[in-house]
Amino acid sequence: MSDRRLPRLLQTPSVLLLLIWMLIPLGMTLYFSFIRYVLNNLRRPEWTTPSISNWRGFGNYEFVLNNKDFLLAIQNSLFIVCSILFLTVILGILIAVLINKAFPGRGIVRVLLISPFFVMPAVNAVLWINMILDPVLGLQGIAVAGLNETIASLQDAPVVGWFFSLWPQLEPISFRATQTSAYAVIIMVTWQWTPFAVLIFMTSLQSEDQQQKEAAILDGAGAWSQFRFLTLPHLGRPIAIVVMIQAIFHLSLYAEIEIVSRGNGNKNLPYLIGEFANNNIGAASATGIFAVILANIVAIFLLRMVGKTLME
Amino acid sequence: MGRIVLEKVTKSFGDTQVIPPLDLTIEDGEFAVFVGPSGCGKSTLLRLIAGLEHTTSGKVLIDGEDMTEISPSKRGLSMVFQTYALYPHMTVRKNIAFPMRMAGLSEEEQNKKIEAAAESLNLTDYLDRKPGQLSGGQRQRVAIGRAIVRDPSAFLFDEPLSNLDAALRVGMRLEITEMHERMKTTMIYVTHDQVEAMTMANKIVVLQAGVIEQVGTPLELYHKPCNLFVAGFIGSPKMNFIMGTEAAHMGAATIGIRPEHIDVVEEAGVWQGRVGVAEHLGSDTFFHIHDTGLTETLTVRAPGDVQLKHGDIISLNPRTELIHKFDDKGLRIA
Repeated sequence: MSDRRLPRLLQTPSVLLLLIWMLIPLGMTLYFSFIRYVLNNLRRPEWTTPSISNWRGFGNYEFVLNNKDFLLAIQNSLFIVCSILFLTVILGILIAVLINKAFPGRGIVRVLLISPFFVMPAVNAVLWINMILDPVLGLQGIAVAGLNETIASLQDAPVVGWFFSLWPQLEPISFRATQTSAYAVIIMVTWQWTPFAVLIFMTSLQSEDQQQKEAAILDGAGAWSQFRFLTLPHLGRPIAIVVMIQAIFHLSLYAEIEIVSRGNGNKNLPYLIGEFANNNIGAASATGIFAVILANIVAIFLLRMVGKTLME
Repeated sequence: MGRIVLEKVTKSFGDTQVIPPLDLTIEDGEFAVFVGPSGCGKSTLLRLIAGLEHTTSGKVLIDGEDMTEISPSKRGLSMVFQTYALYPHMTVRKNIAFPMRMAGLSEEEQNKKIEAAAESLNLTDYLDRKPGQLSGGQRQRVAIGRAIVRDPSAFLFDEPLSNLDAALRVGMRLEITEMHERMKTTMIYVTHDQVEAMTMANKIVVLQAGVIEQVGTPLELYHKPCNLFVAGFIGSPKMNFIMGTEAAHMGAATIGIRPEHIDVVEEAGVWQGRVGVAEHLGSDTFFHIHDTGLTETLTVRAPGDVQLKHGDIISLNPRTELIHKFDDKGLRIA
């Protein structure tokens, strides 16, 4: 078909550019993952320049797999991503349904709801960990201290005093600790990304067919049935979009983890790559390849799951 | 049973009253059509009966029971919407089953009713498809199927054929009329198309600006329109209205004559004019005649074989006994 030649020719530059854009970094990562390549080594200076003569085979992969942090990083990546997805989708749907009804001041409420999305991730993390979650100076510390004081003062009150004297002294939670830092990351990223979900669901709700709802009302469907059988299936596709986009973004979380705990107890794969990349580029590249594989598995798995349950 | 009575029903949106106090009775088993130009309040009236809109004042009685404050699903009415309003992610079977599922009927009973409805509507082969895979006519039939399985005391149709093409519309019109003959259930049908109204109804309710202009059988409205609006709205092509001396001559402010009640004669007719556009339909020919001295354009329906062209002089004889007379308020005289 000769008449197809010109359009193809015109497409070629952009296709080539995209291929180069993707293939060169991927190819280089693959290449580095199979050689010994470190930034600084006084005893073996030949390893500091990438060269095929430093071939290491699957040695880097073995090294990464044997690293004590690797499995934890994968677990953590999945835990953080899945928790954020779960929370943002549920909160997103609830808030979107809530503000879909007309009420005075809806415009302002919508703008306020969207605003967390415009905060930079690093700023978001600093705000949350220092000003809200800090056990002493943050809102959490102040609130816990206030509660303790109130309880203490009520313990001397007549009639109800005995009840409050049973209460223990409340302890604020330190969100920089090994056991809790992942929760801090989940909380702050959920706060930041719920607006994204709300935005997508809100636009989708506005395109919902009102006559369908009226038909359902006449068919005897109550508010819950309308939500379950009409609104939720209608939101199936937007939910899939939100899940996919957020999965891609949150697998590569870095700033929040760095700021909350410097990776203490909640390293994810990108953070591990960053740590390796301080010196061992080969190991960092091998971890990168693992991350690519993980991202693909997550994407396929999530899409299947969302597609099956919601599109009936 | 399905006797629907509206007593002094009004509806306002904010400060604008779209339906002033209105009384109407639809007897059990009747096929009532609400007809009028767009924005006349006919759909609002239907939605008031369905319960999708709240009445501002007045009562809606169904079989003698006051339903004004009863929720739509408990009124025992089924509605078919203009956009079909099918549930897009459910199969035809599930769509039809939905009202029964909501009512908590057993699976067995549901299936029995679905099969029966699908059979009568020719949908058996499509039960496992989704609405997106059906044509407009099939979708409308699914919507009717969903309405039937509820065994309603009355069906409400809100311009159900407006989204179909002309040929399908005629077919569906017949199907719905036949369905009414078979089921003998009360039906209320809203349309802006007076042909649908004339062909389907036992009782036509002509509405304008929320006010009932006239209620009657199709032929009553055709033969005895009570005012100018009804006279102009019912019948196709439209009735010719003539004012001035010719009307005064007959003791009326306006006289009206239908295009089919004017005969084309060889010569020496009562009226003369020049043919403007001639529309040849085969069975009939519609002439739009100018320069009669009576009105801007006079429409005349002649047999299909009358051979007259643009610009020809035409001679006409009105059937005087079929002339409608209206006074200066637009009301029918005698």
